[in-house]
Amino acid sequence: MSSKSANLLQGTLDLLILKALGPGELHGLGISRRIELMTRGTFLVKPGSLFPALHRMEEAGWLSSFWGESENNRRARFYRLTKAGKGQLEIETEQWTRVAIAMTNALKSA
Amino acid sequence: MKPWRHIRSILRNLFRKRQVESRLDDEVRACVDMMTEEKIAAGMSPSEARRVALVEFGGIEQVKQSVRDHRAGAGMERLWQDAHYGLRQLWRNPGFALTVVLTLALSIGANTAIFSIVNALMLKSLPYPHPERMGTIYTRVTGPLPSDERHHLNGEQWELLRDNVPALISAVSGIRPAGVNLLTGSQVEYVHAGRISAHYLDVLAIHPLLGRNFSNTEDLPHGPKTAILSYGLWRNIFGANRKILGQAILLKGEPYTVIGVLPDGATTPLNADLYTALQPSRDGEGGGTNFEAITRLRDGATWQEADAEINRAWSLRTNRYELENNPGAQVSYYSVPLQKGQTATLRPQVLTLMLAAGFILLIACANLAGLTLVRVLRRTPEIATRLALGASRWQIQRQLWVENLLLAVLGGAAGVAVGFLALRGLLLLLPERFLPVASVPLDIRVLAFTLLISLLTSVLFGMMPALATRKFDLRSAIGTHAATGGDHLRLRQMLIVCEVALTVVLLAASGLLIRTLIHLQNLPPGFNPSGVMTATASLDDARYHDAAAFQKLLTDSISAMRRIPGVEQAAVGLSLPYERSLIMGGLAISDGKEAGQNAMADEVYITPDYFIALQMPLIAGRAFTEADDPDTQRVAIVNRAFARKFFDGANPVGRHLDKDMLIVGVVEDVAMAPGIDPVAPITDEATMYVPAAQMESRQISVVHVWFQPSWIVRTSKPVEGLTAQMQRALASVDPDLPFSGFYSMRDLLAKTLATQRVEVALLSAMAALALLLSTVGIFALVANIVAHKTREIGIRIALGSTTRQAMVHTGAPGVAAAFVGLILGLISCAGALRVMHSVLYGIGVYDIPTILGVVIVLATATLMATIVPTLRIAGIDPAQTLRDE
Repeated sequence: MSSKSANLLQGTLDLLILKALGPGELHGLGISRRIELMTRGTFLVKPGSLFPALHRMEEAGWLSSFWGESENNRRARFYRLTKAGKGQLEIETEQWTRVAIAMTNALKSA
Repeated sequence: MKPWRHIRSILRNLFRKRQVESRLDDEVRACVDMMTEEKIAAGMSPSEARRVALVEFGGIEQVKQSVRDHRAGAGMERLWQDAHYGLRQLWRNPGFALTVVLTLALSIGANTAIFSIVNALMLKSLPYPHPERMGTIYTRVTGPLPSDERHHLNGEQWELLRDNVPALISAVSGIRPAGVNLLTGSQVEYVHAGRISAHYLDVLAIHPLLGRNFSNTEDLPHGPKTAILSYGLWRNIFGANRKILGQAILLKGEPYTVIGVLPDGATTPLNADLYTALQPSRDGEGGGTNFEAITRLRDGATWQEADAEINRAWSLRTNRYELENNPGAQVSYYSVPLQKGQTATLRPQVLTLMLAAGFILLIACANLAGLTLVRVLRRTPEIATRLALGASRWQIQRQLWVENLLLAVLGGAAGVAVGFLALRGLLLLLPERFLPVASVPLDIRVLAFTLLISLLTSVLFGMMPALATRKFDLRSAIGTHAATGGDHLRLRQMLIVCEVALTVVLLAASGLLIRTLIHLQNLPPGFNPSGVMTATASLDDARYHDAAAFQKLLTDSISAMRRIPGVEQAAVGLSLPYERSLIMGGLAISDGKEAGQNAMADEVYITPDYFIALQMPLIAGRAFTEADDPDTQRVAIVNRAFARKFFDGANPVGRHLDKDMLIVGVVEDVAMAPGIDPVAPITDEATMYVPAAQMESRQISVVHVWFQPSWIVRTSKPVEGLTAQMQRALASVDPDLPFSGFYSMRDLLAKTLATQRVEVALLSAMAALALLLSTVGIFALVANIVAHKTREIGIRIALGSTTRQAMVHTGAPGVAAAFVGLILGLISCAGALRVMHSVLYGIGVYDIPTILGVVIVLATATLMATIVPTLRIAGIDPAQTLRDE
């Protein structure tokens, strides 16, 4: 990851996590899998990026977490969107869509 | 993110760290476990699955650290870690930390204390509204005898200033407050009374808390007797009684109507307990220069206009005393800010002290720089290791900065504490009413200044290690275990040279002052000061304005004191040896070849046994007797200096002064404080003694406004409860006349030399501090060489060098630096100490004993600082050293 794209990618990661948690609660590994699925394998989120992001977003109040049981009855930390997180998802989705359309148009017109 | 949520996160991360950490640990482990299970389910062996999962996860510790780095408050935590590590480093090296903190504390403390006084005297504006519009008047005389100073005014000058200078509100006061007796109920209080003209409080812009200021009619000669009380006196003596306004109080034996009370905290330059109207005129007191002026610029006027008006007004005077005995002189007048006028006499001393404090700070900085340099060199391997293990240069530098700041903060805090104590001690040392300001607080500006010094010092000596790490060659740093390059030794030696040079200047300066004080204290007094007790009382009292009443008081009180068992002699005089005396000008010599000449001399009225009581030898003629009374020939006795100055040393007995006053005797000079020509703190001025019995009523009331006469008793051996018995003796004659204080001759000498003693004490303390710091510097240098050269010394000894040779070899750099510093210091003394010329008496600026003393003190200190660390050389085992190779 080059330092130039860090901001963009961080924003992207936050949005992807928010989106992944949209349907319901998931544990860390689950979020990582869901993102892989959603992006058809384009984004592989490593634990080294995922966990700091989750903790940061929880501190920001977008996520809340609790201990729960995984599909194979293992204790795992689950995350879900808070009310603020849902709001953030809407805001970021809208922003991203605007950027994406603008970028697409810009690239096409050339 | 909402701020409160952020703060809560920071607090949780900092203070519930264990909980936060254990959650992270569980979560990470669970994730790895889950991944492992997936792999097992996919058919891997458990151990293989775990390995692959861990690789895929990317390292448990790395992930955890990356979460920690992103937590709220991570920067603060890093800082905390640095501080923690720094403290541990300091703790591991307590000698270094202690030296640095002590150095900072002493130097900053000295500076804080001195700067507090400088601040109170010179920087802090006067405690009155618009101090920049307040002034006083300087007189500049050019010609054969030039001068440029604040003069006191006479009555004529005052009237012209008051009436013909519309640009200013002007006021005058008596020169200093005088002790007077205040009768309250059955109690007599001795209080300080200031005499001020109308509008004095207007110039200061002080509005009375109760009542009003003096009116113009109250300020006229023979006007109504009125008084204004200070807040403190009103509260302490009159119980803050508001009905006191309009009532009479018994002051100086007469009723004075209280017309006002000053507000709490209001001070005047006189700093008195109560104020009476000055009632100035052109004759009597106003015939001489006995008033002190202060002015305030009126709205819309400028200082240029005011100065022009003053010069015009005062050129009209009939009595231009400035031109006397100064033919061809030009006189002009100009306004100066009141603050400058009030502090002018103390300014040189205070500036000297500030300079000395600055020296101390420089020495301290040099020491700190040297110490830190050594420390960084010593830590080279550690820093190199940390760099090799992946610490960034920024991390290392941040660590060093944090350590230095820690030391600076510790030193700064200790410095403030030391400064506070030093200031307290300093103010206790100063005699009462020595400083022309009411109080010297340790104020916020001083604290800011101190903080600035401490931070600047930290930056100064923090810079070097930070710079040193920049050009750091990792390989060579790890490779060599001792890295004392010749460059660094040279640098440290230069620092020590500077320290020692500054120390030498301070030592020499304090040495010269000490020698001056010794000279002054051992001047032949001209009388026998032992076995004498004196007591003063205020006779500025309506009951003693009459010559007969005054004479009866003296006769009766003296005989009462003679009756005290053990008392051999008793007498009264207007002033005593070591004190200032009344100055009389315009004493015409009436006959002989000097006829028509005017003499200016001290005048002291005395009772007949004054010379016997003080054991002042009579050189010619006779002493006064009871027969010299108002009805007989007016007589005077002069001292040797008077005869030398006005009669060319010829015997003046039989000559006349002031028309019909016959000189009947000559006495030996005594040491006294100068009034006419302040060439030295103690001198022998031309003095004329007159019998108290021949004083006229008019003279008595005037001189007692300025001077409180002294009762003198001489005892052959110490008398138990002498002062109480003296008080009782006086009370048996007048129960309403208290003594204001009792002084032995030693006390009077100490009082006169107070300024010199304070100077000596302060400068010596500074010089001692400088010496201490320099010694620490030399000690640290040599100790360090010993520590670093252990290997080299071991090899030298193994190769046949004796311990003594090794010691000399190791100590040489310290001694050499001190020697060069000494020479440099002595050279700078030649220039720097010339400015001290005006405060030295009895010795020259280039005083051989002082220089020898400085050399001996410095040599001793250097030798001790060098020998003590080199003693460790004797313990070096060459075999051990060689094995280490």
